[in-house]
Amino acid sequence: MASEGPVETREWTLDPETEYRFELDPGTSLAVKLIRGHAEVFGAELAANKPYLFGSECKAAIFTWRGCTIEVTGQPSTEYVSEETPMAAYANLHMAFEQMRVRALRDLRGSPVPEYEREKPTDPPRVLVLGPENSGKTTVCKILINYAVRAGQRWSPLLINTDTSEGGWAAPGALSAAPVHSPLPTCSPASPLGSAATSAPTALSSNALLPLAYWYGHAESKRNPLLMERIIRNLGENVTDKFQVDLEGRTAGLIVDTPSSFAAGPGSSSDDRHRLIKACVDAFKINVILVVGHEKLNVEMQRAYSSLLTVVKIPKSGGVVELDHLYRERVHNYQLHTYMYGQIIPPPAGISSASLGGETLSDLVLSPSSTVINFGDLSIFRIGAETMAPSSALPIGAARAVSETQAVPIDPSQPGSGLLNAVLAVLAPPVNTDESERYDEEILDLPISGFIIVTNLDIPHRKMTILAPNQGSIVGRTAVVGSFEWQE
Amino acid sequence: MYSQHYSAPPFPQQSSFAPPYQYYQQQPPQPPPVPVYHPDPATFRRDYANQLAELKVNSRPIIQNLSMVAQEFARFADVVAQCLESHIRRAPMLPPQVPQWMKLPAFYLLDAISKNVYDPYARHFAAFVVPLFLETYAQVDEATRSKMEEMLITWRSGSPTNKELFGVSAQIAIERGVWGDGAASNSTNSFYSGSGQITKTQVLTELEFTLNQKERAVQSNPYDTTSQNHINILHQLRKLVEAGVSQEELQQILTQLRSLVRSAVTAPPPPPVPAPSPPAPVAAPAPWPAQPSYPIQQQASFPPAAPMYPFPTSTYDNVKTETPPSVIPSASGSGLSAQSSILNLLSTLKKAGIVPSESGTPLGAGATAQEESKPEPPNLERESSRNYRDAILMHDVKLTSTDITRKRPDVVEFLYDRLAAQCKQCGIRFPDTVFGKKRMEGHLDMHFKQNRKANQNIGRGHSRSWFVGIEDWVHDLSLDVKGKGREDGARPMNAKAAAAAEVAKRDADLRAQYVVVPPGEEAKPVSCPICKEHFKSEFLEDDEDWVWRNAVLKDERVYHATCHADTANGLALRLRSELAHLRSHSGTPESAAGSARMVTPPSGLKISEALRSVSLSPSPESKLVGTKRKVDDTERSLSGEADGTPPLKKMALAVDSTPE
Repeated sequence: MASEGPVETREWTLDPETEYRFELDPGTSLAVKLIRGHAEVFGAELAANKPYLFGSECKAAIFTWRGCTIEVTGQPSTEYVSEETPMAAYANLHMAFEQMRVRALRDLRGSPVPEYEREKPTDPPRVLVLGPENSGKTTVCKILINYAVRAGQRWSPLLINTDTSEGGWAAPGALSAAPVHSPLPTCSPASPLGSAATSAPTALSSNALLPLAYWYGHAESKRNPLLMERIIRNLGENVTDKFQVDLEGRTAGLIVDTPSSFAAGPGSSSDDRHRLIKACVDAFKINVILVVGHEKLNVEMQRAYSSLLTVVKIPKSGGVVELDHLYRERVHNYQLHTYMYGQIIPPPAGISSASLGGETLSDLVLSPSSTVINFGDLSIFRIGAETMAPSSALPIGAARAVSETQAVPIDPSQPGSGLLNAVLAVLAPPVNTDESERYDEEILDLPISGFIIVTNLDIPHRKMTILAPNQGSIVGRTAVVGSFEWQE
Repeated sequence: MYSQHYSAPPFPQQSSFAPPYQYYQQQPPQPPPVPVYHPDPATFRRDYANQLAELKVNSRPIIQNLSMVAQEFARFADVVAQCLESHIRRAPMLPPQVPQWMKLPAFYLLDAISKNVYDPYARHFAAFVVPLFLETYAQVDEATRSKMEEMLITWRSGSPTNKELFGVSAQIAIERGVWGDGAASNSTNSFYSGSGQITKTQVLTELEFTLNQKERAVQSNPYDTTSQNHINILHQLRKLVEAGVSQEELQQILTQLRSLVRSAVTAPPPPPVPAPSPPAPVAAPAPWPAQPSYPIQQQASFPPAAPMYPFPTSTYDNVKTETPPSVIPSASGSGLSAQSSILNLLSTLKKAGIVPSESGTPLGAGATAQEESKPEPPNLERESSRNYRDAILMHDVKLTSTDITRKRPDVVEFLYDRLAAQCKQCGIRFPDTVFGKKRMEGHLDMHFKQNRKANQNIGRGHSRSWFVGIEDWVHDLSLDVKGKGREDGARPMNAKAAAAAEVAKRDADLRAQYVVVPPGEEAKPVSCPICKEHFKSEFLEDDEDWVWRNAVLKDERVYHATCHADTANGLALRLRSELAHLRSHSGTPESAAGSARMVTPPSGLKISEALRSVSLSPSPESKLVGTKRKVDDTERSLSGEADGTPPLKKMALAVDSTPE
């Protein structure tokens, strides 16, 4: 936040294997500069003497393996140094996964295998990370991914996000997968996993990721588990295809981040949870399940899967912050804002030039385009009914009027269409232009091209104003509405 | 041994007189103190000759001392030259128990003076060096000969400008004398002429010399994989040469060897400190990357030298590594190029069937040659990934909840220590190996390009790109992974993605352009002279004007902005002018509206087809054209209901577009 009092700069000297944790209030920002030693933010190393900016209520930690001195500018609401981190365990995990990767690569290249290694599996790590709310699942994924890409072996593991309340590179409500080539920066919860490609030149490829995204449209997996399962299986097929094309890329493996509802939680029936976990395990051919700090879930998973794959319980970081519903709402707003307008964090007073995870600030500012289109230019659908009780809540024997995976067309001219301020996912055009190849539920299997927001509805003139990320034409495309809304 | 002396480990400051140098047969005698004096030539001659007489053994201090005196009294260069010559010539007259190699130290002195001081000594020595060398060569034993040969090779590039130390002709004369006619015929230096035979022995000597050099480089820096690689190749080459190869191949090998030596010469192992180049008497960029430092007392014992010596305070060492700046920039580059050239040589040999790529070769060199026949970058990468694999697998980590929490990990070693080279801009690390350095260079290049692009883009907005489709996502081989393309772990296939994004953006920009329809011409069908398609008019509410979208007015003609941009490139432009030419021949009126319609169909059509194919050919463009067409198609199909504004106009439009 600009001005307000004198420039406040503090130096923190961290002992080996400790971390400096901070939490930011809305509207404030923080700059951290590494003065001496080595330090990393969730596995991404900081370059020395470069101020790194954090904002949008970011809660993060600067960890050091061998000690360091950092200079902090700005006013976090909380800051402290912790000596208890699970980093050693995460590092061991990384080593174990690296062993799997090098064995997989050796196998692929047909290099000779020493006698004592012959028994070892040659599967690359395909990891599913499960855990309850506020257990730091995404952070674990990020650290493991970052360590893998930092190994200097040019691994580009796939990071798959199935947590629709977070949205990954896309917007909340999407499931997505992207190969990661360079460490994922941390600067704001708006882009927890780096950001999707823009037309701007970016220094870090993690700010120009190319995700494949599908639209689920809701924050909670319990809203339409059938749809989510279908999307997970779709993603899994794409991943399988990709691995068949890129055999060496396959050896880097993949890591799947999951929503907390997979672990437990009120409202989601145990059946649904297990179905979705099973879907992930099948779709991504998971061979390692990490359970972050949840004894019961660990036991559950051991029972269900230990014969097929490895289930490991891993410690949870003491730094995780309990996040309330309102915070998550705000994060959704930040994410959509970032999708359209880019990452804008005003540096704290006293910092003139700073970078967001190694990126120049000006390059991250984006200009969306607001245009008026006719109602007919866009076919809009909703998947399933607008409000849908779980199947189990229906009277016995009653069938749904609208099935969970049915695409219902929406007429914007009807009052109460619910389109105003809605986040719409514009779908990619179908690959098969041949009409005979089309099928009813095709719309469920199309990935997302991008998101638009309906900012104005002019029913008398049958026009609507949309905010689109770029000037590309969306005329004739298909869009799907979910339950997300966004207003600037 | 001279050569060993030359290439003592990079910084032998402390233990300069350690035994490994065969050079020193015994502890060096304390050099005689030289008082401050301004001698006349005769005195100087006497003194110098006396000191020279001490040079009975291979003693570095004496050699260095004598060479410093020579430098100090460069005005007596002729005296020094005479002393040295007569000393060498006189040596045979020493008692018979003094072995012939006695002459060698004197030659080393000659060598040192010429290389370190160069001017005017090289000139003076050049007068007698040829017969002196050859006479001595004839007298000495085999071991000394090979030492002399080694020295001779260094003379090729011994001058400060990396040229022949005593001039081309002297070098050729000596080499001919030593290796026979044609010895120097195929030097990389075009000054050499002659077409005689190259003997196997000569090639082998040079090979041996280079090999020694490389082995020493590896000794001093075990991580120098380039040199290791070179050694492998050189061993192969040696086997080849021993087995016998043609003249032509011998020549090629020689050429490559020399360029390799040259590059090695200019690449001192420690990163050279870009120091201001001392005046003329700089250390020659000879293949002696380092020399032991002068003992302090010795400097003290030789006061006159100090003030004039360009580097009085620094050790001799530092001086040595401070090769003239002119060669520094080329150091790494030429090293690489030399490597690639020697690789090229190998592959040429292979192609020529000299090095069989199959095993079971008649030459007997095949087995190893085949095994190591592909030291190309991917192999370097494999090598490094093999090392990494071994290191990783050394660790015993089990994937169990207890095991991962129990152990102290060694991850720091892998994430930091093994990756010593770090990008200062974004913190990404690379292994401190040749391979890693290359990747880091690529990475820095990327930063440079990004920055430049960012600067060019100032003031122009950016926007989020659309996500990729399934096909693109699946087939994006993420070029930077394991293989070609990106060298940094940064932009993956972004070349493609960025290009696509750029194209899309440009396309959008172009499409946003419009031309206001001239009043009264709304109803006239106007088509783009390039693609022959009609412009679609639409009503711009803000301006309350009918406009043609995606249109530009150029030379009083309306073009599709996209077509115009496509054709405005290179070949297309030329074709377009031809088109215009044809058109003017056909006598069509040049006025904007309506003119295009009347173009004589056959010629115009053909050209426009040519244009289309031209604009399709460049790859990023082709994508653009492809998508454009698609968009146009959908637009057309939609236009009926889509552009609906004033119904009256629409009707008119509909009528207009039907005839087409």
